[in-house]
Amino acid sequence: MKNKEMYYLKLKRSDKSTVRTEILFAPLLIIFPIFVGILFIYDWFYRGFLTCSPAFDGELILGIVILVANILFDIPFIESLSRNIKGK
Amino acid sequence: MLRTNVNRGKRVNQIDSSKKKVNHVEFDAHWYRRIFHTFGASFLVYYLLPDLERINFFKFWIPILLVSFALFLECSRVKGKIDSGHFFGLRMYEKKRFGSYLYFGVGVLILLLFFPQQIAVPCILCACIVDPIMGELRNIVGKKQVYIIGFLICMFLFLITWHKANIWIMFLVSIVGAAAAVLSEVNKLWWLDDDFTIQIVPAVLLLIIWIIISYFGFAPPEPIIYSW
Repeated sequence: MKNKEMYYLKLKRSDKSTVRTEILFAPLLIIFPIFVGILFIYDWFYRGFLTCSPAFDGELILGIVILVANILFDIPFIESLSRNIKGK
Repeated sequence: MLRTNVNRGKRVNQIDSSKKKVNHVEFDAHWYRRIFHTFGASFLVYYLLPDLERINFFKFWIPILLVSFALFLECSRVKGKIDSGHFFGLRMYEKKRFGSYLYFGVGVLILLLFFPQQIAVPCILCACIVDPIMGELRNIVGKKQVYIIGFLICMFLFLITWHKANIWIMFLVSIVGAAAAVLSEVNKLWWLDDDFTIQIVPAVLLLIIWIIISYFGFAPPEPIIYSW
C-alpha cells in the first residue's frame, strides 16, 4: 500500500461538530478496558487466590495484559487530546 | 422567580460554552485509532458472562446486531448515502472500501461465536495489542526488529492462553500462531484488512492443530477464563 493512502481523511469545517460523537465515545474507550482488566484481576483474586486454585492464574495475567496495554496507549492519547485543547 | 430565571440562564450559557469548547476540540486521529484497537481487548469479558440459556441468547445475538449495524453504516458510507466526514479517523484507503473497524468486528464476531476460547482469546489479543504496538514500533526501530518484537509478544499471548497444555503442544501452537499473526499483519492487502487476517489466519491454523492433536489422543487445554 502506498504511504499516501495511510494518511487520515481530513474533516471539512462543517464536519467538525461530528467529532463531538468521538469525544463522548472517548471515556468509554478509556474506562471500559480498564474496568475489564480490573474485573479479571478481581475474579482471579476472588475465585482463584482466596480458594488457592491455580486454574484462575490465566485470568490474572490476562487482566494485567489488558490493563498495561490500554494504559500504554491511553497516556499518549490523553496527552495529545490535552495538547489539542490547549492549542485552541 | 427572578433568581430561578437567572440560574436557568446561567445553566444555558454554561451548556452553550461547553458545546462550543467540545466543537473546537480536535482529536488526534492517530492515537484515537490506537486506543480503539486496545479497547477491543475488553470484548473478552464475553467469556466471563454466565453460561445460562437466557444470557446465551443475548451473548449470541448482541454481537451479531452490533456488527450488522456497523455493516449497515459502512455500506451506506461506501455507497455515498452517508458522508465519510462523519466517520472520524478513517484512512485514505478506507474511503472507497469498508473501514478497518468493521473487519475487526467481523473477525472478533467469528472468533467469539465459532472458535473455542483457547483459540479466540490469543487471536483477539494479537489484533488488539500486537497490531498497534507493531504500528508504533515501525516509527522507532527497523522493520526486522518490528517483526521480531511482534512475534515475541504474539508468542507470549499464545503461551499464556495455552499454558495448561502439553509443553510441546504449547510451543507448537505459540510458534505457529505468532508466525501466522505477524505474517498476516505484514502482508497488507487493499481489499482485506489486516485487522481481520491477524485474527482469522492464526485461528484457522490453530483449529487445524486442535483437530490433529485430538486425533492423536492429546486433550486440548482447559480454557483460561471461567464464566460466572
